[in-house]
Amino acid sequence: MQEPIVKLQNVTKKIGKRTIIDRLTLDLPLGEVFGFLGPNGSGKTTTIRMMVGLMSLTEGEITIGGHSITKQYEKAIRHVGAIVENPEMYKYLSGYDNLIHYARMIPGITEHRVHEVVKLVGLEGRIRDKVKTYSLGMRQRLGVAQAILHKPQLLILDEPTNGLDPGGIRELRDYLRQLSKEEGIAVFVSSHLLSEMELMCDRVAIIQNGKLIDVRTIRGENAAKANNRVVIEVDRTQGALDVLLAAGVSGVLEGESSIAVDADKESTAAINATLVAAGIKVYGIRAQVKTLEDQFLEVTGGERIG
Amino acid sequence: MGNFLPLIQNENMKIYRRPRTWVMSGILLVLVIAISIMWLIFGGRDASMWDVAFLESSILFLLVTIFTVVIAAGGVAEEFTSGTIKLLLIRPWSRSKILLSKYISIMLFAILLAILLFASTILINWICFGINADPAIKPGFMGIDQASPVSYMLKYYGLTLISLVVTVTLAFMLSTVFRSSGLAIGMALFLLLGVNSFIGLIAMLKYEWIDYLLFIHLNLTQYLDGNPMRDGMTLGFSLGVLAVYYVIFVALTWYVFSKRDVAS
Repeated sequence: MQEPIVKLQNVTKKIGKRTIIDRLTLDLPLGEVFGFLGPNGSGKTTTIRMMVGLMSLTEGEITIGGHSITKQYEKAIRHVGAIVENPEMYKYLSGYDNLIHYARMIPGITEHRVHEVVKLVGLEGRIRDKVKTYSLGMRQRLGVAQAILHKPQLLILDEPTNGLDPGGIRELRDYLRQLSKEEGIAVFVSSHLLSEMELMCDRVAIIQNGKLIDVRTIRGENAAKANNRVVIEVDRTQGALDVLLAAGVSGVLEGESSIAVDADKESTAAINATLVAAGIKVYGIRAQVKTLEDQFLEVTGGERIG
Repeated sequence: MGNFLPLIQNENMKIYRRPRTWVMSGILLVLVIAISIMWLIFGGRDASMWDVAFLESSILFLLVTIFTVVIAAGGVAEEFTSGTIKLLLIRPWSRSKILLSKYISIMLFAILLAILLFASTILINWICFGINADPAIKPGFMGIDQASPVSYMLKYYGLTLISLVVTVTLAFMLSTVFRSSGLAIGMALFLLLGVNSFIGLIAMLKYEWIDYLLFIHLNLTQYLDGNPMRDGMTLGFSLGVLAVYYVIFVALTWYVFSKRDVAS
């Protein structure tokens, strides 16, 4: 496997006595859409701010393309395109002038490239209008445009689907997947919208209270197999649990007349046989495939901000 | 890395694409014309064009300072309040260079306004008073021993520009440190106008430390006619004190801007 484009090592951020980010370690390879999932206030934006050098690190190290973001900022940030929080633009300038403004800051961006990007995000019709007349969705598109102007190797997007309509979200999703697969760039997307991450990302990191809780693969063979939960409706729940326990399977009570166990296809059949053999009536069996949302709520404990 | 000029081009674009910049320049021009016409109406035509030009320059240069303070105060603070600072900083440029480009474009604006004032006072008053003027009318605004009115005016502009640079740098610092353009404008103008009105009183006090106050030295034109505010002060001494303040302002501005966590 190739060297990851981004490496976060023991990244810690303290403000006063509060630890905002606690020893975060992550690697991002090229060609992957990586989701960064967490409830509000969990430290997603703070992490992104540190990745693009807007905030200092209390401890740890972030390297992008092998360059340290703190020590070799100009080299590290050269191949990064980003939107941090909302894409705020100069409202008194036209969309085009905004793009020219950013294009001037990186050598080698031609006017042709600017037009190409404008077309890509579908803003041709309004690009000469002042940004203050834009809707939120159009600003989001302009934000994406400024982030990809210089063909970055790493694209960081903070809540990119904010303000986009369903069509726009789909378009963006397809575009990001295409970017990562065809141009081989790494895309780092933060969101608290779980369903969307499921559709967009290859892998998802879940963060809560500044701590990395889990990294899960969404696409790929492992994803489908694991985490199947089977709910079995029986006549005597306690009896069924006892029988299963004796057979080495631990289950839990699920509602009044059901129990739930973790099992794949084969062991579901075995469990059923065991129960029937023990004289327990089985009224129904259904597989409960966990969505990312369930997983997310599970690992974060459904906890509120506090 | 790369060419620095596009950064200044960017900052210039952000200054000159805004209507307020043109409104300010327009106000300056209109006032020059208005004062000359009022003079024509109430004072008649038998005045030296240089007297009117100098009077207008000495009144309106304050406006040049105020307008530049407004632009300087907005320079950094507005990037923070609008949130655009985030997208501005994540480019392959160090923060100090981005700040320098802002500072340079603000100073360019000050110089342009000063040139506009100088050129318009001379042109308009030449039209109003200079064409076919009575050769007997001599300019009376300067001391008798001075050489030419042009060189006197240029010296006057030079000295006031030095104070302008210090005042504007102060506003730029306040803008960067407090990230609020209102506060920066308010404080800079209070120091400029408010303190100026009782500086004469302070200057009369006999304490040693007053010699080192910034505001005693902001009016450098006191040396043009050779009567300094406090005994024994020289132009060199004033420039020295201003230079020390300037270095402190600049150092503080750049330090704060480079170190700050951007979290707006």
